[in-house]
Amino acid sequence: MSVLEVDDVVVEFDTDAGRITAVDGVSLHLATGETLGLVGESGCGKSTLARAIMQLVPMQRGSVRLEGTDLGSLSRRELRRMRHRIQMVFQDPRGSLDPRMNVSTLIGEPLRVHGIGDRASRAKAVAEAMELVGLPVAVADRLPSELSGGQQQRVGIARAIVTDPAVLVCDEPVSALDVSIQAQIINVLDELRDELDLAMLFIAHDLSVVRHLSDRVAVMYLGQIVETGTASEVFGEPRHPYTHGLISSVPRADAESAARLQTARRMVLGELPSLLDPPSGCRYRTRCPYATAQCAEAEPPPEPVGRAGGLHMVRCHHWRTIVSAAPEPQESATSQELAI
Amino acid sequence: MSGMPLLEVEDLHVTFRTASGPVHAVDGVSFTMKPGSSLGVVGESGSGKSVTARALLRLFAITDDVQISGAVHFDGQDLLRIDERRLRDVRGGQIGMIFQDPLTSLNPLMAVGEQIAESLRLHRGMSRSEAAAEAVELLARVGIADPEQRATELPSSFSGGMRQRVMISLAIACRPRLLIADEPTTALDVTVQAEILLLLDELRRSEGMALMLITHDFGVVAATCDDVQVMYAGKLVEKASMAHLFDRANHPYTEGLLRLVPRFEDAHTGRLHPIPGQPPITGGGGSSCAFAPRCSYAVDRCRSEVPPEVAVGPQHLSACWLATDRAKDNTEAGQPWRRAQ
Repeated sequence: MSVLEVDDVVVEFDTDAGRITAVDGVSLHLATGETLGLVGESGCGKSTLARAIMQLVPMQRGSVRLEGTDLGSLSRRELRRMRHRIQMVFQDPRGSLDPRMNVSTLIGEPLRVHGIGDRASRAKAVAEAMELVGLPVAVADRLPSELSGGQQQRVGIARAIVTDPAVLVCDEPVSALDVSIQAQIINVLDELRDELDLAMLFIAHDLSVVRHLSDRVAVMYLGQIVETGTASEVFGEPRHPYTHGLISSVPRADAESAARLQTARRMVLGELPSLLDPPSGCRYRTRCPYATAQCAEAEPPPEPVGRAGGLHMVRCHHWRTIVSAAPEPQESATSQELAI
Repeated sequence: MSGMPLLEVEDLHVTFRTASGPVHAVDGVSFTMKPGSSLGVVGESGSGKSVTARALLRLFAITDDVQISGAVHFDGQDLLRIDERRLRDVRGGQIGMIFQDPLTSLNPLMAVGEQIAESLRLHRGMSRSEAAAEAVELLARVGIADPEQRATELPSSFSGGMRQRVMISLAIACRPRLLIADEPTTALDVTVQAEILLLLDELRRSEGMALMLITHDFGVVAATCDDVQVMYAGKLVEKASMAHLFDRANHPYTEGLLRLVPRFEDAHTGRLHPIPGQPPITGGGGSSCAFAPRCSYAVDRCRSEVPPEVAVGPQHLSACWLATDRAKDNTEAGQPWRRAQ
């Protein structure tokens, strides 16, 4: 059973320039012990979706069910009682920690806020959380300013897991960190998922990190999920031209690096359209090398790819005729194969 | 291509005096660049890679208490010894620079076309109308659509990627012979990054300028640079052609950097391998290998003597006491970072 079920969520905002739909009918689900990677570029709505799931921004439509309970139907007080089951890790560890609290107070804070346990059991839970994220006992009395960036993010993660959540929502948890610290934090998340059987929604723009951590992946573009499936399906056999472009854009340390960027340039044309005036029909058509009149007229529905009952889904009118070509180094014929 | 180097850096030292003592940010760095060549400089935060670039043009804050020594030969003069007025001609003239955040380098209150034109009048002595026309031309060359209209707009009306294009057009306005790009794509989305990297590569070839690209990402270097040098604690620890480095990374720090990031082509294959510990906050200046405390291969000698640069292949240097031994069993198949993790 899914521990988190997100169904047809729509989030709209009023901006100075007009109303925008930041999240446009997104559905996803997460099982225990599973990591879903959510990728897409700035402004695609992935962080807004995370906030909607956390019930931090109002939804215009749709539902978020956590362990079977529809979070939108709860009163404020009931929602607060559920919150310890779904927790969030943020991008900027320093900005999300109160500078006047020491490490053990910071990690214990969610327990006090949610009224979980007594003093002794809280102290035990804090010690356990510190051990799980690899924080030495010696830093318990330190202030955030006395910690390294990696330790600060470990505190952020410890705060999120100390309430024993079923779901962890991580919004760009490593993108503000130096490369060697990133590797440490990625390992911490990897270990926690295994040890605590967490369901994890992992939001990041770094596709290599997402592929490393995720069982399944969803690709967002202008508020919609355009492709989803297992990590090896989406990254190994991308069907949507945007997914293909994203993958080709990742600079890799090999001899084909520059050639791959040329593929990316062909798959992602021009600039991101404004959410104030999104394209009709397929959201991606203004940047797509395969777009036809049909793409402007009708919005492509999510269609299953591959075997029946499989997880691979794509929203593209032409996915059947666009030959999938995983942009791997040995497949230098990529560009020819893609020409329809 | 002429055999004369365009840039020759000799024994560069940069030391900051701070409240908690001196920081040897750059500790005896020497390298050369040929005209039209491309060089990637890779390292963690604090490795000295950005400070090296800033030292070439003495671009430091007034509040920095900084000491620079060595020599930076560029176009027949030592940039460390010429006066401030002549150095200003070089900055933004023969040497262009772009940074991670274009907003901090662009005037927010001035139309982008005017900013480019100002530089053209200053460095290339163009008239007002010539400069205005050339500014539009430059915006078109870096791939900005509708350049006449966009030239009249403020930096704030451009997206992150377009702003970096504006910054690049400003940097190449005076036809520099060297373009220094310090983490130019770190703040950008991946498809925009791809565009900017391709643009830098194309401009390098079409303008015949040399490119020095500073980054923490070997993938970015692979896409844009022929040569690479790796910095640690203010020193160059390895230099090679990028093609050579893929197959024959020699220095344990380079190996560590290559291993610590997940590679896109690998599905989940177990835990990553972070380099234990942290770089020294005081930079270099010690009497041992600065990497030894974090190095799993370190032997006694590494902790008592600074390793010299050793040739381990054609134009391939590694500053490691074990470099020769490592080069011997360092075949492509033996590259630990390539093996399944």
